[in-house]
Amino acid sequence: MNSMYTNIPVAGAALLVSFNLMASEPWSEQAITQHIDQADYAGELNQSRLSSLIDAGNALFDARFTRIDGVGRPMATQAIVPTKRKRLPRTDFSRTAGLDANACSSCHHVPVIGGAGDFSANVFVSEGFQHTDFDTTDPQFSNERNTNHLFGAGLLELLAREMTGDLQAQRNTALQRARAGDAQVRQPLHSKGVSFGAVIAYPDGRLDTAMIEGVDHDLVIRPFSHKGVMTSIRQFTINALNHHHGMQATERFGPRWTGHDDFDEDGKRAEITAGDVTALVAWQATLPPPLQQSPDTTQWVRAAAAGEKHFDTLGCAECHKPYLTLDSLVFDDPGPLDVAGTLRTGEAVDTRYDLAMLDWAASLEKDEQGRFKVPLFGDLKRHVIADQQVAALGNELLSQRFVERNVFMTSELWGVASTAPYGHRGDMTTLAEVINAHGGAARSSRDAWKALHDSQQGELIAWLKTLLIVP
Amino acid sequence: MRCKHDITMAHHAVNAMTLATCLWVLVLTSMGVAQAQVQTQADNHVQTSALATEFTADVPQLIEQAELAGIHHRYGGAWEYFVGGGLSSFDCNQDRLPDLYIAGGEYPAQLFINRSAPGGVLKFDKLDDAELPPNQSLALTQVLGSYPIDIDNDGYQDLVVLRAGENTVFKGAANCRFKRANTLWRFAGGNAWTTAFSATFEAGKRYPTLALGNYVDRSAPGSPWGTCHDNELHRADDTADTPIYTHLQPLAPGYCALSLLFTDWNRSGTDALRVTNDRHYYRGGQEQLWRLDSGAYPRLYSAAEGWEPLVIWGMGIAQADLDADGYPEYALTSMGDTKLQVLDIEQAIDENRPTYEDMAWTRGATAHRPYTGEDLKPSTGWHAQFEDINNDAQLDLFITKGNVENMNDFARFDPDNLLLGTYNNTFSEQGLAAGVALDTRGRGASVVDLNADGLLDIVVVNRGDNVSVFRHTGMQIANSQTRSDPAQSNPVQADQTRPGGNWLKIQLQQAGDNRHAIGARVSIKTGNLVQSRRLTIGGGHASGAAGFIHVGLGVAERATIRVQWPDGQWSAAYKVFANHHVMLERDKHTVTQWFPANPTQPQ
Repeated sequence: MNSMYTNIPVAGAALLVSFNLMASEPWSEQAITQHIDQADYAGELNQSRLSSLIDAGNALFDARFTRIDGVGRPMATQAIVPTKRKRLPRTDFSRTAGLDANACSSCHHVPVIGGAGDFSANVFVSEGFQHTDFDTTDPQFSNERNTNHLFGAGLLELLAREMTGDLQAQRNTALQRARAGDAQVRQPLHSKGVSFGAVIAYPDGRLDTAMIEGVDHDLVIRPFSHKGVMTSIRQFTINALNHHHGMQATERFGPRWTGHDDFDEDGKRAEITAGDVTALVAWQATLPPPLQQSPDTTQWVRAAAAGEKHFDTLGCAECHKPYLTLDSLVFDDPGPLDVAGTLRTGEAVDTRYDLAMLDWAASLEKDEQGRFKVPLFGDLKRHVIADQQVAALGNELLSQRFVERNVFMTSELWGVASTAPYGHRGDMTTLAEVINAHGGAARSSRDAWKALHDSQQGELIAWLKTLLIVP
Repeated sequence: MRCKHDITMAHHAVNAMTLATCLWVLVLTSMGVAQAQVQTQADNHVQTSALATEFTADVPQLIEQAELAGIHHRYGGAWEYFVGGGLSSFDCNQDRLPDLYIAGGEYPAQLFINRSAPGGVLKFDKLDDAELPPNQSLALTQVLGSYPIDIDNDGYQDLVVLRAGENTVFKGAANCRFKRANTLWRFAGGNAWTTAFSATFEAGKRYPTLALGNYVDRSAPGSPWGTCHDNELHRADDTADTPIYTHLQPLAPGYCALSLLFTDWNRSGTDALRVTNDRHYYRGGQEQLWRLDSGAYPRLYSAAEGWEPLVIWGMGIAQADLDADGYPEYALTSMGDTKLQVLDIEQAIDENRPTYEDMAWTRGATAHRPYTGEDLKPSTGWHAQFEDINNDAQLDLFITKGNVENMNDFARFDPDNLLLGTYNNTFSEQGLAAGVALDTRGRGASVVDLNADGLLDIVVVNRGDNVSVFRHTGMQIANSQTRSDPAQSNPVQADQTRPGGNWLKIQLQQAGDNRHAIGARVSIKTGNLVQSRRLTIGGGHASGAAGFIHVGLGVAERATIRVQWPDGQWSAAYKVFANHHVMLERDKHTVTQWFPANPTQPQ
């Protein structure tokens, strides 16, 4: 066996001891010198405590984890549900099944840390748990995905929570009406101006979900990943730490759910504490939202203004909605929608902070009802994005977490000017290419775009280029 | 491969201390050896217990709330009611919450209607049917147990009521209305002491085949010793629009059955009938497996065919496919150690031989003496049921325990077992920590979600005591080692819980006959893990259940389900999200969700 893990249980333990002794030394190779204690951040955080938590999260996000920290999962797969490997991997790092990164910031760094990644930072998402050692980029084994940026992630999660609350409340109301009236009730589902189809409730409590559109049948808006299949920053963080680094969070891979305190058998226990995850969540959730920037030339200003009108006229804004309104900026971690395997409200120590404390919050516009306008240019809804003639974005072979291969969540366009390349595979180098690739539900808008004069297309690009991530 | 006789035989020696004190002389001669064997195993078990204290998964918090729930009911009576004491959990008023029909022995059986708020406190109303004509009243005496089953395929659960005397079948209708149907269905209730029941839909048959297990033939010369009654197989005439049970076939010899279960032991698609028998009364008997080829006269599997003789005080059968290989494992309760039988698959596949190995000791499931208190005498096990009570995607085993009556050689304080499945395929006793270790004499039981919150509650019928209703209020936060002795009181507080693993509840439906898809297999896949459930009627101890199948999912937030319908056809994959009730209808490819009334909490 060539794997470097072969002797870890004996020799590794001794090494870890010696490294731990050196952790405080300036030349220590340990990236996590002190784990975050969740209890230190219990309750509602003031600005000072939040800043401290954000700083800790920043350090973790940028940390180049090492073997001493717990990098590696020799006997665990990248799967979201803790899954044992059947045998040691041939190599511990691999660009396909992982480990495939040293730090979160290894991929999330365009244009700055927390940003997106270029094609070289693509990851391979596998739904095929049985192919845990896939070592090919053949799309029959995995889906290749480009790295998304994380700016405004906290606002996205808050929007998703509120929308989920709306949809589930409508469902519950329909069920109650059906019972009370002893007749079936067809209930349209909508939130923040976005329609999600309908449900039919029956008097005996049954619910027909066949007409639900663009969201899972549990009516939970999952705002993260290209597919829109991850519920929270917390859930995604735990997934990614395991997949990309083999750093396993106790709240999912610990003894409670696996019976092991070193599930991946790399000789390191408690690699990521609940507090560590909380810090990472705080850092990501408080990243400022990308806001439209004013160009520095008159020509660009004029072109962008025209382009913004084209964007609306072409119907782009039907899905890439310029903003969704948000009632509250109070962020609870854990959130209300996660399920077992990701820390849940009331399960341990809860943390709460108000994003309004952050400087960038003041720049969010409000509507006439005092609600925050979150300028995401998205709708947090999934759509079919490929068709028979325009199929470039339907290039995956595997569905993911019940979402069909040609269905993706509307990409939020905020920050799009700073996050080339484009498309969920990151294989489109220009905005024009990715617009041309819109099929399916976006086909009519794409066709209308294609019909524009070159100069008009340029104006639309000019406007999109104002949607910047400003460090 | 052969059974591990070392443990089994040791306990046979221990269990020479029998159900009746009249065997004391015989017992005393074997006591020396027996106690030594017990001590050795007890020492070993200390090690197991030490591991148990390191149990890392969730321990459920189960709080006894029968009085609060409005259930006042006692099972009791003379010798005939030393055994029995079962209940049915099923929905009789079409609200999809389980109602409870509980045997009373010499007292009237009672039906309790479930009025629990979803996720809230448990609440039941006793059905007062005093005004009804006698043939519509369920308040029978001499009832030992019952099983719900839709016999006439009208969509309503009927009831088979087991009695010391004439057995009674009740035809169910809407809103918990029942009508005696012995005459309508020409069901011969007999006059035996009936203690066990199972049913199956044989291939191509419209109506279920019923098996009834009988205990001692009290009228036979020399009773009670060696006078076990034959068991019975009732097959229906399929030509009529109403089930007509004119084909009564004796299953002889009978060895004083205390539990029956139709089971597809060899994945053939044809059920065989497992019978667990009480060695206390039979002579020359053993455990039995009847082969029922379609329409043919049943015959017993023999030793030559691989069925190895096993002599125990069989009280209850539970089955589960613990490793999801399609071949079920069986828990058999007895006096002393519980058996956990695992099929020798090679022999089964190559030669169709039903040969089993007892893995109870290896897996920590013997539950052979009380796990708490000072009483070191052997336990007396009754009802057994596999379920995932802590929603960690590992099946657990609940066993009711209780001294027969005044059996000095067996534990008097004999708490029910809650053996929680661990991640290394063993079981860990957590009854004490969970709160079920009461000083009662358990008999029949049902592990069932009473308030539609995805958490399995437990109902236990106790001999000579009120029924125990354990409400599952969540997973405990406090370390189990800090629990005080529950023999004093239930120390658990309601606010010491946290949410547990994810779950699913699944109900199957198909059109026409066998509407509830009895005999179907359900395969639930989450990541690499596959769990398997099969819908059966029978087993346990005089206790049946009908309703949602419960599955714990651990940390999986979604699952893919495939159903093998009773005729063997597989469904396409159903995609479902955790923490929901789902209804899977044959030939419908989408999932219908179900929500209890007033679903105020997001699911």
